[in-house]
Amino acid sequence: MAAPEGFVAVKRYEDIPEGAIVPFEVEGDERILVKLNGNLYALGGICTHEYAELAEGDLEDSILYCPLHGSGFDVQTGRVTSLPATQPLPVYDLRVVDGIVYVAREPR
Amino acid sequence: MAGRRSCVILGGGVAAYSAANTLRSTGFDGPVTLVSAEPIPPYDRTALSKGFLQGRQTVEEILFKPAEHYEGLGIELRLGHRVTAVAVDRRELTLETGERVPFDALLIVTGAEPVRLHLPGFDLDGVHYLRSLTDAQALGHDLARAERVLVVGAGFIGAEVAASARALGKQVTLVDPLPVPLAGPLGQEMGSILAEVHRRQGVDLRLGRRVAQLRGHRRVEQALLDDGELVTCDVVVTGVGVRPTVGVFEGSGLAIENGILVDEHGATSLPGIYAAGDVTNWWHPVIGRRMRVEHFDNAVQQGEAAARAIAGDPRPYAPVPYFWSDQYDVNLQYVGYPGPWDQVILRGDPTVPSVTAFYLRQQVVEAVVTINRPRELRLGRRLVEARARVDPATLADLSTDLRTLAQAARPTA
Repeated sequence: MAAPEGFVAVKRYEDIPEGAIVPFEVEGDERILVKLNGNLYALGGICTHEYAELAEGDLEDSILYCPLHGSGFDVQTGRVTSLPATQPLPVYDLRVVDGIVYVAREPR
Repeated sequence: MAGRRSCVILGGGVAAYSAANTLRSTGFDGPVTLVSAEPIPPYDRTALSKGFLQGRQTVEEILFKPAEHYEGLGIELRLGHRVTAVAVDRRELTLETGERVPFDALLIVTGAEPVRLHLPGFDLDGVHYLRSLTDAQALGHDLARAERVLVVGAGFIGAEVAASARALGKQVTLVDPLPVPLAGPLGQEMGSILAEVHRRQGVDLRLGRRVAQLRGHRRVEQALLDDGELVTCDVVVTGVGVRPTVGVFEGSGLAIENGILVDEHGATSLPGIYAAGDVTNWWHPVIGRRMRVEHFDNAVQQGEAAARAIAGDPRPYAPVPYFWSDQYDVNLQYVGYPGPWDQVILRGDPTVPSVTAFYLRQQVVEAVVTINRPRELRLGRRLVEARARVDPATLADLSTDLRTLAQAARPTA
């Protein structure tokens, strides 16, 4: 089926393991999918502090930690939970239709 | 509660930025004015010695937010304004232009300024300090034309500038009076590891040496070291520490002693006047002593704490200090209290380097430093927060899972 308006197909839902951080790109823009307790979240893939790929980071208690300086982001809201990042991570709406994950082109 | 009192934020670094946001998010609804000597809105100074100097970041990219952000918060920006006088009794600042800015509450976030060396030749062209955007632009301009760079002082700023200059392909000589750089804050072991990193990156280290004078005709050409060696250089960068920017407050009645004295809410000795960040000498309620911290996280969080107090929603500020430094491909992070400690335990490989150091006092983890092991920092932070008492041998043993240790950590107090 066609992607919902403003969304792009990025992964098959079953290809995303629980507790994983899976990188993907939308027109060159690096982003990540995070599956936590069965819920899926789509966020920006690069730390807002300095350039670091968050797909290499750690997930702990619904906080995503940057692999470089340990900035923490709430996976549900993108809110900064620990410094040195001062800017939130963009969060993208997503939909799962027929086992395919669609992510919004523009941040929430 | 907050009423319609006005607040002036004085300064243009990250403490100013976080205070501005916090005032509004905690419901302070009076007029807020941000007065800064800087020509642009608050920006990230930590980028100046690294990405900005290397040309990887632009001015726009180091701003926390563009000017419209402050407009959106209803905060008036007065940029490029120096304060020449403060009258605490009349509650007003005087700007260079003679204009007076009244306030009900004042938050001083003026930061710190580089210590200047008053040695012969340090007034020559090509001699730089690095604190502000203007400093970084002037240094970048000279670096682009330079071949040989002399860095005076192997502290964090000096080391980062040396690394950036190497990244730009310059020949770099780094001079420091200590035989092991950063031995004070990091100890001999980690200091030696960092010195080796610079050596391997091709930096000419002159440790245990001081610059006696600089020579040149208008522009710097040579440095004479205290052992008689002459070092050719066309740019000199001096990073020998900072002192709190308190000038305009001296004699104002504000208690100043190695920085503006503040309590755990950022309150100074005078009612309605607060301070945060590098400019303060602050009381840490958990460890029960005063400290001065010249780092980013402290400025963010203390700025937030002081703004909360001004807005009438005070929460004591009692953080475990943290900072980082990036040099070449080396990522260093520090979490914990400043010394003294009586034992340093290393974990990992000092030669790669990929190593974590635990600083213990009577077996309590006071601080943790990671070099290229950022993941261990978070576990280390837990050990420090818990004031954990650990067995040094267990800590040094790589087969010990730090995760388990951090979970088992029990407060000793």
